[in-house]
Amino acid sequence: MSYLCLENVVKTFNKTEVVKKMNLEIEKGELVSFLGPSGCGKTTTLNMIAGFLEVDGGKIVVDGKPVHLLPPNKREMGMVFQNYALFPHMTVFDNVAYGLKLRKVSKAEINQRVLEALEMVRLSGYEKRYPKELSGGQQQRVSLARALVIKPKVLLLDEPLSNLDAKLRQEMREEIVGIQKKVGITTIFVTHDQEEALAISDRVAVMYEGRIEQVDTPAAIYNHPQTDFVSRFIGEVNHIQAEVMESNDDQPCKVSFDGYQQVLSHHVPKGVLSEFYLRPEKIQINLENNQGLKVLVERKMFLGSKTRYIFLNNNQYLFADISNTVFNPDQIKEGQEVLAVWNPEDLLPVKK
Amino acid sequence: MQADMEIKQEQELLYEQKKKKSTRKKLDSWLLLLPTLAIFIFFFVLPLFFLFITSFKTFDASSGIGNDWTLQNYVKFLTDTFYLGVLWRTVKIGLITTLAAIAISYPVAYQMTIAKGRTKNYLTLLVLSPLLISMVIRCYGWVILLGNNGVINNALVKLGLIDQPLTLLYTEFSVVIGMVHVLFPYMVLSIMGSLERIDPSVIRASQNLGASPIRTFFSVVLPLTLPGIFAGSVMVFSLAVSSFVTPAILGGPQVKLMSFLTYEQVTTMLNWPYGSAIGFLLIFIATITIIVYSKLLAKSEKGVAIQ
Repeated sequence: MSYLCLENVVKTFNKTEVVKKMNLEIEKGELVSFLGPSGCGKTTTLNMIAGFLEVDGGKIVVDGKPVHLLPPNKREMGMVFQNYALFPHMTVFDNVAYGLKLRKVSKAEINQRVLEALEMVRLSGYEKRYPKELSGGQQQRVSLARALVIKPKVLLLDEPLSNLDAKLRQEMREEIVGIQKKVGITTIFVTHDQEEALAISDRVAVMYEGRIEQVDTPAAIYNHPQTDFVSRFIGEVNHIQAEVMESNDDQPCKVSFDGYQQVLSHHVPKGVLSEFYLRPEKIQINLENNQGLKVLVERKMFLGSKTRYIFLNNNQYLFADISNTVFNPDQIKEGQEVLAVWNPEDLLPVKK
Repeated sequence: MQADMEIKQEQELLYEQKKKKSTRKKLDSWLLLLPTLAIFIFFFVLPLFFLFITSFKTFDASSGIGNDWTLQNYVKFLTDTFYLGVLWRTVKIGLITTLAAIAISYPVAYQMTIAKGRTKNYLTLLVLSPLLISMVIRCYGWVILLGNNGVINNALVKLGLIDQPLTLLYTEFSVVIGMVHVLFPYMVLSIMGSLERIDPSVIRASQNLGASPIRTFFSVVLPLTLPGIFAGSVMVFSLAVSSFVTPAILGGPQVKLMSFLTYEQVTTMLNWPYGSAIGFLLIFIATITIIVYSKLLAKSEKGVAIQ
C-alpha cells in the first residue's frame, strides 16, 4: 500500500459533486502536483486531505492509518497557504515555534529546531521580525519553515507561488523542490500553472471537473496525453484533420492531410476523417523537396530563441514554433507558400 | 551654458507651479471642513473653555459665579470622602459595564462575522435595535422588569422561589444592566470590525499546526481582536461614566454618579463653579482612559495593523 491513499473520495457542495470518486496513491517522498483549471476540485481535495473539509464518501489513508475522520489538528500535515497565513501578531521565531510549542517540545529543542528551519529557508537573522516587515517571498519561506519544522507526515502546498512575481516564482519553486528533496517529505503541490507543475513534480495529476484525468510523469503527461482534456490543457496544440486512405487490420494505416500523406503506426477506421492534435514545436519547414502540407505564411513572430509562424491551410490556422538555430527565419517571408512537415509519431489522436 | 540655465529656470518654474497647485488642493479640502469646524468651535470648544474657567471661580450665592479665582472647587471634591465615593462608584460601574459588554458582545460579534447574507443583516438590525429606541423608554422597560412589583420579582414569588421581593431596582446592578443594554452595540460593532479583518487561513494554519479550536481562539483569534476590544472598551467606558439618563432612572438618588452630581450642583444648588469642576474631572477620567488605550493599542498592534 502506498504512503498516502485517496480511495473513492467524494465531496458534494449543494448537491453537486465537486470531487467525484477520486482515487490516487502517492509514494513516500514523492512530489505530486494537482494541476487543473480553477473549479476542477484540486483545492477542495487538498482541503479534505488537510481536514478543513469533511469527505462525503471514501477514505484517506496516510501511512496505513485512515485519517479522514480526524480533525485537522490531529492529522500531522504541514500546510503552506497561498497567502502565507502567517500569524501577524507573532515574530518570525514565534510563528515557526508555534507548532513545536503545541507539541510540548522543550525550550532548548524548540530554539534549536526553529533556528535550523530558518537556516534551511535562508532566513537566519530574521527571527525577531514581524511578518509585515518581510517581503512576499520571505513570508512564503517562513510559512514553509513553519510547516516543515513540525516534521509532518505530508507537506501540502496550496498554490504557494501564485502571489509572487514571475522571477521570484521561478526561484522559489526551485528552492521548494530543493528543500523537499533534501527533507524527503511526501508532498502535494496544488497549482493551475502547468509550467510550474511540469517543472517540479515527480508525477502530475491533471484534474478536470472533479476527476483525475491522468496521473503520470511530466514527460508522459506532455507526450502521451491519455484524454482529450489533457491534450488540450497541457501545452498548446493544433487541431488538424486527415482523410483516411487505407486502413486494414494487418497493415499500417495511411492518411492524407490535404495531400500530405503519412503512414501511422496505429489503426483508424477507414473512410472517415481522423482528427489529431499536433504540438507547435513538432512542426518543421521543408525547403528541400516537395513533401509536406502546403501552407501560406500568414505571420511570423520573433520570440528570441524561437520564431512562431502562423500558417494558413484551407482557412485553418496552424501554429509552428521553430528554433532559430535550426531554421533561420529570414529564409522565408510573410505571404510566401511553404511546406510544413512533421513526424507521424508526434500526432496525438483525438480521443472522444 | 545658457541653454542649461534656461532649462533649469524652466524646471524651477514648473516646480513652483506644481507646489502652488498642491497647496491650493490642500486648502480646498480644508474648505470642505469649514462648516463642521465652525459649529464644533462655537458650540463645543468655546463653551468647554468657559466651563473650564468657571470651574476656577468662587461661588456667589446671588449670581452663581463669583469674581475671584480659586482652586477650592477641586480641593473640596478631592478631599471629601462622599464625593470621592461617587467618583469611585462611577469608575467602578464604568469598568463593570465595559467588562460585561465585552463578555456579551464577543460571541455575538463572532456569530455575526461568520453569518452570511440575510442572517447577517437581521443580526445587525437586532444588535442595533437598542439604539433605535429612546433611552427613556428603554429604561422604563427595565423598571417594569426589575421593580419590587415587577415582572421578575412577581414571577419568582409566584413560583415560590423567594418570599420577599429582591431589591433589583435602584441598585448598581440595575444601572449596569441598563448601561450594558444601551452600550453593547458599540462593542459588538467594534469587535466585529477586527474579527472580520482576520484572514480565515490564519485560523486554518493554527489548526494545521496542531492547535485545538480552543487553543486557536486564545493564541490567534483573541490576540488579533485586541485592537477591536480596546476600541470598543474606550467607547463603552467613556459613554458609561458620563451617561446621565440611565443612572438617573435605574439608579435614582441611591446610586449617585458623577453626571448626576454635576446636574444636581448646576440645577438644584445653582453652584455653577462646583458643577463645572465635577464635569471637568469627568472629562479628565475619559481623557486618561483614551491615553491609556492608545498606549495599549500601540503595544498590541505590533505586527497586527491592517494588512
